[in-house]
Amino acid sequence: MADLQDISNEKIRQEIEEFVENPDEIERNIETFARVRPLMQEIAAALIEGDDGTVDALTKQALEDKIDALEIMDDGLIAAMGVVGIKFRDNYIFVPEVLACARAMKAGMAYIEPILSASGVEPLATVIMGMVKGDLHDIGKNLCIMMLRGSGFNVVDLGVDTSDDEFIDAVEEHSAPILGMSALLTTTMPNMGKTIEAFIDADMRDDVKIMVGGAPVTQEFADDMGADAYGKDALECVAVAKGFLSVQA
Amino acid sequence: MMKSNVDWGARFISIGENVHTTRVLLRKGKSIVTHEDRESISYKGLDNETKYLVIPEAFKERQEYKQGQIKHVMIAVTMAMSGKECSEPAIDYLHTLARKQDIAKASYLDVNVDEISYKLDEQKRAMRWLVESLQQISSTPLSIDSSNIEVIEVGLAAYNNDMPRPLLNSASLERLDALELAKEYEASVVVTAAGDSGMPEDVQGRVANASKMVESALSKGFTLDTIFIDPLVFPASVDKTFGSHALDAVAELRGKYGPEIHITGGISNVSFGIPGRRLVNEVFMILMVEAGADGGIIDPVLSNPAEVFSMDRESDSYRMAEDVILGRDEFCQKYISAWRSGNLDVAK
Repeated sequence: MADLQDISNEKIRQEIEEFVENPDEIERNIETFARVRPLMQEIAAALIEGDDGTVDALTKQALEDKIDALEIMDDGLIAAMGVVGIKFRDNYIFVPEVLACARAMKAGMAYIEPILSASGVEPLATVIMGMVKGDLHDIGKNLCIMMLRGSGFNVVDLGVDTSDDEFIDAVEEHSAPILGMSALLTTTMPNMGKTIEAFIDADMRDDVKIMVGGAPVTQEFADDMGADAYGKDALECVAVAKGFLSVQA
Repeated sequence: MMKSNVDWGARFISIGENVHTTRVLLRKGKSIVTHEDRESISYKGLDNETKYLVIPEAFKERQEYKQGQIKHVMIAVTMAMSGKECSEPAIDYLHTLARKQDIAKASYLDVNVDEISYKLDEQKRAMRWLVESLQQISSTPLSIDSSNIEVIEVGLAAYNNDMPRPLLNSASLERLDALELAKEYEASVVVTAAGDSGMPEDVQGRVANASKMVESALSKGFTLDTIFIDPLVFPASVDKTFGSHALDAVAELRGKYGPEIHITGGISNVSFGIPGRRLVNEVFMILMVEAGADGGIIDPVLSNPAEVFSMDRESDSYRMAEDVILGRDEFCQKYISAWRSGNLDVAK
């Protein structure tokens, strides 16, 4: 088993020591960062700082050094986003800081994405996202989309006030394995249940995993409606979406 | 725009937001204590005596509790309506929340029971009960607030018409029938800048939507002084243009409709996602008034206008909060770093 001292980058060591408290998460992060090469650790450290200029320069350098694009994404960018997620969940950092990290992620992905798509590497999966019928409050949903894209998902954003048919058509058109619905109002929240029923009526419920979220939504309510999962914030949304994939794999 | 001879501490029309079922206390915050072996909310009564509201076991199964949050108003309303032994302390808790806002000179008490349950019948029952109960102890008019128009109607129907006009919160292009309801119950009305199929994206969207609502209200016979425009305040942390969108829309709407119409807004929305929220909220109150607003939906006990409008506007803290609101502090970096190092003048 790896030890904290096996991580060469001091900044990454500090981050894990100071901000990661859950023993499983400590172990997982130490394993990851002790395994990856020093340049990937540097990229990760810059991303955690929200330093898009450095992520940009180091990603470019890594590609010039003939490091595989997929490795840069997994070991540098995505590994770093995992730490960002934990710090946000545990209230060590705040919304604008997460957005700065997302911008840094985007700076790196600007080099990685074209290479991956040219070499036929697919995004993790396509996620359809939308606010339910009647709901126009989409700031939380937009945060989720930013985080999903930053984590390697292809996201189709249906915007606000989405009808059952729009959700169904989008899932069908993009063969999307995951659907995310959000509601910010108690009045529109029950429309999630109606959309789930519409998927059952269309005989498509088994084709798609459905996750729900939004301020008034709870796990109990998600269960009641027959959703597959609930996420309380943008980072749980990413974790839930990844969870769906690992079950399918 | 703000006239120097106006005492905004006295004139600011605060819509007190404290009896709202979305309100939360943090379990690790200082008002949650163990009293006689039971986890309780500690609060000051009107004579400054310390009182306790025991948190019933049933609420500890709930997800928000497990995530460290106590929805204290939702809990108190549920307890108060239960008719059980615990009703009385819960009623006292709610009445204290309301009376403290009276004392802080709130112009309206906003009541919202949306999170009591997702069942419409239970929301209606809670709204009726709460409106009747608050009117027994407070003579401040109520602002009847719900995302469901049927719940608003129940609140207005329960309202005692011997009191000054209530406020309906809110009507918008996606909910035009709320204007009819306000008319029927002789309520003043909050009209928001929400569009009929989406949120406004900029200043012009806000002005256009709000103007349609104002015109519609005027055509139904509302006078300017019974209309409250809410330009919609979005978090400055999410996009650096959001603070200015609301402020610029306020300035434009004030210019367009003159001095009589009211302009308000959900002040605390601006500080979502950042620490040291109270300071940002209070600076935003001042900037809203400077832009032409004459009130806001606020916690008048925490951010008492009399104190807010006498704040030192030359301090570093003021300037940093202003920079966050006006989008001059990218990703709120300077503000958050000052907060971390304890260099901000905010309540700990």
